[in-house]
Amino acid sequence: MFTDEKWSSSKNWFIAAVFWIIIGMSMGLLTATKQIWPELLNNRWTTYGHVRSAHVMLVIYAWLSMAYVGSMFYMIPKLSKTRVYSEKLGNFALVFYNIVILEGFFALLFSQTEVIEYGEFPLWVDVQLLVAIGLVAYNLFKTVGRRQEKMLYVSLWYFLGSLLWLPLTWIVGNFPAQWIPSGVQQGLMGWFLGHNAIGLWMTTVGVGQIYYLLPKLTGRPLYSHQLSMIGFWAIATFYVWNGPHHLMNGPIPGWISKAGVIPSIVLLIPVWDVLANFWGTMKGSWSQTRSSVPLRFTVAGTIFYLFACLQGPLQALPSVSSVIKFTHWTVGHAHMGPFGAFSFTSFAALYYILPKIVGREMFSKRAMEAHFWFSTVGFLVFAFSLWIAGVVQGFAWIEGVPFLQTVLMMEPYVQGRAIGGTMMYVAQFFLAWNMYKTIKLAKLEKKQQAQQQAATA
Amino acid sequence: MERKPSAVLIVALILWTFGVAGTVILPLFDQEINSATASGELRNYAEDSAEARGREVYVQNGCQTCHTQFVRALPADTNQNLGPVSKGGDYKYDLPHLLGSNRTGPDLMWVGLKYNEDWQRQHLIDPQSTSPGTIMPSFDYLSNQELDDLVAYLMSLKPTQERLEEYKNEMNEAESMDHN
Repeated sequence: MFTDEKWSSSKNWFIAAVFWIIIGMSMGLLTATKQIWPELLNNRWTTYGHVRSAHVMLVIYAWLSMAYVGSMFYMIPKLSKTRVYSEKLGNFALVFYNIVILEGFFALLFSQTEVIEYGEFPLWVDVQLLVAIGLVAYNLFKTVGRRQEKMLYVSLWYFLGSLLWLPLTWIVGNFPAQWIPSGVQQGLMGWFLGHNAIGLWMTTVGVGQIYYLLPKLTGRPLYSHQLSMIGFWAIATFYVWNGPHHLMNGPIPGWISKAGVIPSIVLLIPVWDVLANFWGTMKGSWSQTRSSVPLRFTVAGTIFYLFACLQGPLQALPSVSSVIKFTHWTVGHAHMGPFGAFSFTSFAALYYILPKIVGREMFSKRAMEAHFWFSTVGFLVFAFSLWIAGVVQGFAWIEGVPFLQTVLMMEPYVQGRAIGGTMMYVAQFFLAWNMYKTIKLAKLEKKQQAQQQAATA
Repeated sequence: MERKPSAVLIVALILWTFGVAGTVILPLFDQEINSATASGELRNYAEDSAEARGREVYVQNGCQTCHTQFVRALPADTNQNLGPVSKGGDYKYDLPHLLGSNRTGPDLMWVGLKYNEDWQRQHLIDPQSTSPGTIMPSFDYLSNQELDDLVAYLMSLKPTQERLEEYKNEMNEAESMDHN
C-alpha cells in the first residue's frame, strides 16, 4: 500500500507541506482581515479565536514541520551515505501525521482547545501527534544508525537533537491541566513548549538545513567546524531556559524571571557564532545570490534569523518588554523566525531537493523569482507595519490613552499588515504551481524516455 | 563524540533536563504561585456553576486570543487603570490558564469591576452599540444560556474588597507623591 520508492518519503512530505502552507496562511490572512472587518465569516466555527489558533498550529506543525521532515528524509541519508531506513514507514507516518493534523484543525474549529499557545490541539490529538513524531524520529535515528560515513556532519547533530527534543518538549507543554497544581505553573509549562517548539525544533532543524545547504549551493566548504560545534552546544544549553520570559513583569517570582531572562540574553553568543559561520562560508559567493534563487532564499533566511535573534534578547529586557509586550510588535516578531528565517530556508531546501529527487530542474525560474520577491517584500511590509504599530500602541497605553482609541489608531497599520500578508500568501501559489508542474513534467519525461528505450530496444 | 550519535543524544538530553528542572520543576516548590490568594479563591468556581460554565464558553470561543488576564506593575497597565497588580496566587484555580499574550482587546483580569451585566450582554451581542469602532466580533450566535453563563463569568472577575481598598490607597499615595 505504501511505496518503497527511493526518496518518496522526502518528496511526499514536501508535497503535503506545500498543501498546508496554502491552508495555514489562508487562515492567517483571514485573521488579519477580521481585524479590519470583524463580522467577516463570524460564526460559531470560524470566529476570530478559532481561526487564529488554527493559523498558528497549521503553519508550525503542518507546513513548517512537514517541510522539515521532508528535508530530513533527504539530508539525513545523504549525510549518512545510506538509504532511508524505511521509505514505507516514512510514507505511512506521513499519512498518519496528516490525519492527525486534520483532526486537530477540525477540533479547533469545533471549539476544542487546550488554550496553550503552540500547543492548542486537545489532548486526544496531542497523543496521536506524539506517536506520529515518534515514528518519524525512529525511522531517522535508524537511518543514522546504518550510516556508512563515520563522521557526523554538524547538520546531523542539529537534526538528532531536534528529533529528541520535540517529542519531550511536546509532553511537558501538553501535560493535562487538571494534574497541574496552579495556573501559573501551567503557564510556565505551556511556555516551555511555546518557546522550545521554536528554540529546539524550528530553530535547530532550520539551522541544520542551512548548514547543509550553504556548502552545497556555493560549492565551498563550511567556514569553521569548531564554530559549528560551539554554536550547537550553546543553543542546546541556553535555549531550553527561555520559557519564563513570556511571563516577565508578571505573576512569577523574581528568581524564575531571572532564570528565563539571563539565558535569553546569553543566546546572543550562539547566534553570533552560527551567523559568523554562515557568512564566513558565503565569503566570495555573495554574487551567486543574484542567479541562484535557493541560495538567495537561504541567505535572506540567515539575515531574518539575525534580526529575529537581535529582537529576541532585546525584548527579554524588562524595560523593553514593558513597552512592547501584548502589542502588535510581538506578532511581527513571532513571524520573523517561522516565516522570514525558517520558511525561507525550507523553500530553499525544497528547491534544492525536489529537482534531485524527480530528476529534472524546477519548471519555472520566473515563478521562483516571483515566489522570492512576493515573499520578501510582502513580509517586510507586513512586519514593519506591525513593529511600528506595536511601538505606537505601547507608548499610547503608557500615556493612558483610552483603550478603544488605541484600537482606532491602529487601523492604518492593521491594513498595512493585511496588504503585506496578501503578498506573502500570493507568493505561495507560485511555489505550489511550480512544484506541481515540475513533478508532472518529470513523470511525463520519464515515461517518454522509457517508451523511447523500449522502441530502440 | 563526532562519531557517536548516542553520545550527542545523551548530552542533548541532559542539557534539556537541566532546563526543565530550572524552569518547570523548581517552580513547583514555590509558595508564591502555588497557594491561592483571597482573590484567587474567588475564582475557585463550584462545578457546573454559571461561572464555571461561562468560563468554558470563554475558552471555547477563544476570548483568550485577544484578551489577557495579566496586570503588571508597569505604567502601561496602571495608566490604563487595569486594577490591582496580579499575583501568582490569583491563578491557583485558573486551569487551563487564561493569562494570554496579546491585547487586541483590553485586559479582563478585573473586568467585573468595570461594567454591569446589562452592558456586558449588550456588548457581546452587538459590540458596536456599546463601543463604536471596536474590532470585536459579535457573539450573537451564542444561545441565551451561553450568554448568561459568560456574563456571570465576566462579572465574577473581581478582587476581594480588601485587595481593592489596598490598591486604591496605593494609587492615592502614588498620586500625592506625583503632586509633591
